[in-house]
Amino acid sequence: MIKPFRITLGHVVFIVALVALWEFLGARGVIDPTFAGRPSGIASYLWRGFITDRNLWNDLSYTIAAAAIAFVGGSLTAILAGLLFTMLPGLHRACEPYLSLLNAMPRIALVPLFLLWFGLGIGSKIAVAISLTFFIVLAATVAGIRGVNSDHLVLSRALGASPGQIFFKVTLPSAVPVIFSGLRLGLVYALLGVVGAELIAAEHGLGQVLAYLQSTFDMDGVMALLLLLALLGLSITVAMNWLEKKLLVWQ
Amino acid sequence: MSRPAVAPGAQIAGLAHAPPAAVDLPPSIAIHDLTMRFGAGTAGAVLAVDNVSLSLAPGEFVSLVGPSGCGKTTILNLLTGLLKDEAEGDVRVLGKPPHEGNPDIAYMLARDSLLPWRTALDNAAFGMEVRGLPKRERDSRARDLLQQVGLGDFADKFPKALSHGMRQRCALARTFALDSPVLLMDEPFGALDAQTKLTLEDLLMQLWSAHRKTVVFVTHDLAEAIALSDRVIVMSARPGRIVADVPIDLPRPRDVRKLQTDHRFHDLYARLWRLLEQGASAHD
Ligand SMILES: Nc1ncnc2c1ncn2[C@@H]1O[C@H](COP(=O)(O)OP(=O)(O)OP(=O)(O)O)[C@@H](O)[C@H]1O
Ligand SMILES: [Mg+2]
Repeated sequence: MIKPFRITLGHVVFIVALVALWEFLGARGVIDPTFAGRPSGIASYLWRGFITDRNLWNDLSYTIAAAAIAFVGGSLTAILAGLLFTMLPGLHRACEPYLSLLNAMPRIALVPLFLLWFGLGIGSKIAVAISLTFFIVLAATVAGIRGVNSDHLVLSRALGASPGQIFFKVTLPSAVPVIFSGLRLGLVYALLGVVGAELIAAEHGLGQVLAYLQSTFDMDGVMALLLLLALLGLSITVAMNWLEKKLLVWQ
Repeated sequence: MSRPAVAPGAQIAGLAHAPPAAVDLPPSIAIHDLTMRFGAGTAGAVLAVDNVSLSLAPGEFVSLVGPSGCGKTTILNLLTGLLKDEAEGDVRVLGKPPHEGNPDIAYMLARDSLLPWRTALDNAAFGMEVRGLPKRERDSRARDLLQQVGLGDFADKFPKALSHGMRQRCALARTFALDSPVLLMDEPFGALDAQTKLTLEDLLMQLWSAHRKTVVFVTHDLAEAIALSDRVIVMSARPGRIVADVPIDLPRPRDVRKLQTDHRFHDLYARLWRLLEQGASAHD
């Protein structure tokens, strides 16, 4: 067995070597820094952005705030809609074709429309992100509630559980894992929606910064932003995994 | 009570062996001319149960055997009131017509149907919880029952950490934690391996002797039916009719493992097997 410490050490050595090689080849002109940036340039961009000029903090918080608002709003409405649909299957059948149509649409195409409606502020990107998160969490909620084990229902009914007891003690807990995987995906897509909308047009946000850097051919900045977004996505996944472990010990 | 005096120790055997009519208490379960047709009046109507009459004395253990699809589960579901479809005939549980959530009835299914997000203790307490017992009372009772089924050290474990047999023990605890006098069991040990099954049958016999419930036990396993029951009801292939009502006059208390080598046990097995075969071929 390889010890975890050795594995971590291996990764660190690999990354350091890769960065050094990149820097070296960049300095020798083998890799053109105009198209690929250079590790030292990326680092100094981040240093300026977060430590000396501190301008990135503002954009980072706009992006995170928009994603968080969209995630919470979209998930809550989706879960409520999912509950309503499972209680009123007729309503669900009636809404199904329209929901499918909306869900089939490439949501990023809504950005121009939302920009006209909500302007360049935070509203547009929240709307785009919600349009993604909502459908994902809705589908998960409906699937989770439908997926309840019928043996559990038969048994609860035979033992005399009321419909309310069955819902809160059996149906809902059994749907939690499925809803949770919907939430995890919904959060990733909320970030995608926000950054996508910012790329097209926005006052603030990492996506807007990225679009600006790209238009001025600042390749170190572009690479730095990509790194930042990757880390942001990664921390979301890690946080959700941690939460899932806490929440679903029984799995 | 007007029951004639019997020697101590003989009483349980006496009650168990007497045919229901000879017992002076009113029957726990009385089914009279029951006929059940699924989708009655439609083209695809299925006659599931045909003219079944059956009566169980209080504390009696009766097994229902018969080919798959002969209506065993249907009869249990009619007794619990889970099936709302029109059935002809008269069904009474402790003198009352069936209704869903009848507190006189405890029900146990083939699959353990433990709730995976609850610990063994909370699963054992589930039935009492939906019936509104206060938390302290149900917890202490659930703990007591887990002890009785040999899961005392596993109270805080989730079902995923329990073996098949242990899960079914936990389901037994949940069932016997209810003070319902009537117990309906639908192939509760059907999914277990032979050895685990014998252990759990023994456990069921212990619990039953201690709690004295009226039991309808559905099974595919003739050996199991003989080992546990006072009577075995043999049903025919669909539509389910009763083809035989065989008293099992093996002495109690029984040791399920010892019975496996008892010649009376094997004679009964052979007899029931023939009856089952005749019933199975009667209709197809
Ligand atoms: N809800 C239902 N609607 C229509 N037909 C049904 C329904 N439930 C059961 N049946 C039919 O009634 C018959 C009896 O079913 P039941 O489940 O009672 O059989 P069973 O004796 O329990 O069989 P098994 O031993 O396989 O569990 C079967 O032919 C089945 O197809
Ligand atoms: Mg069945």
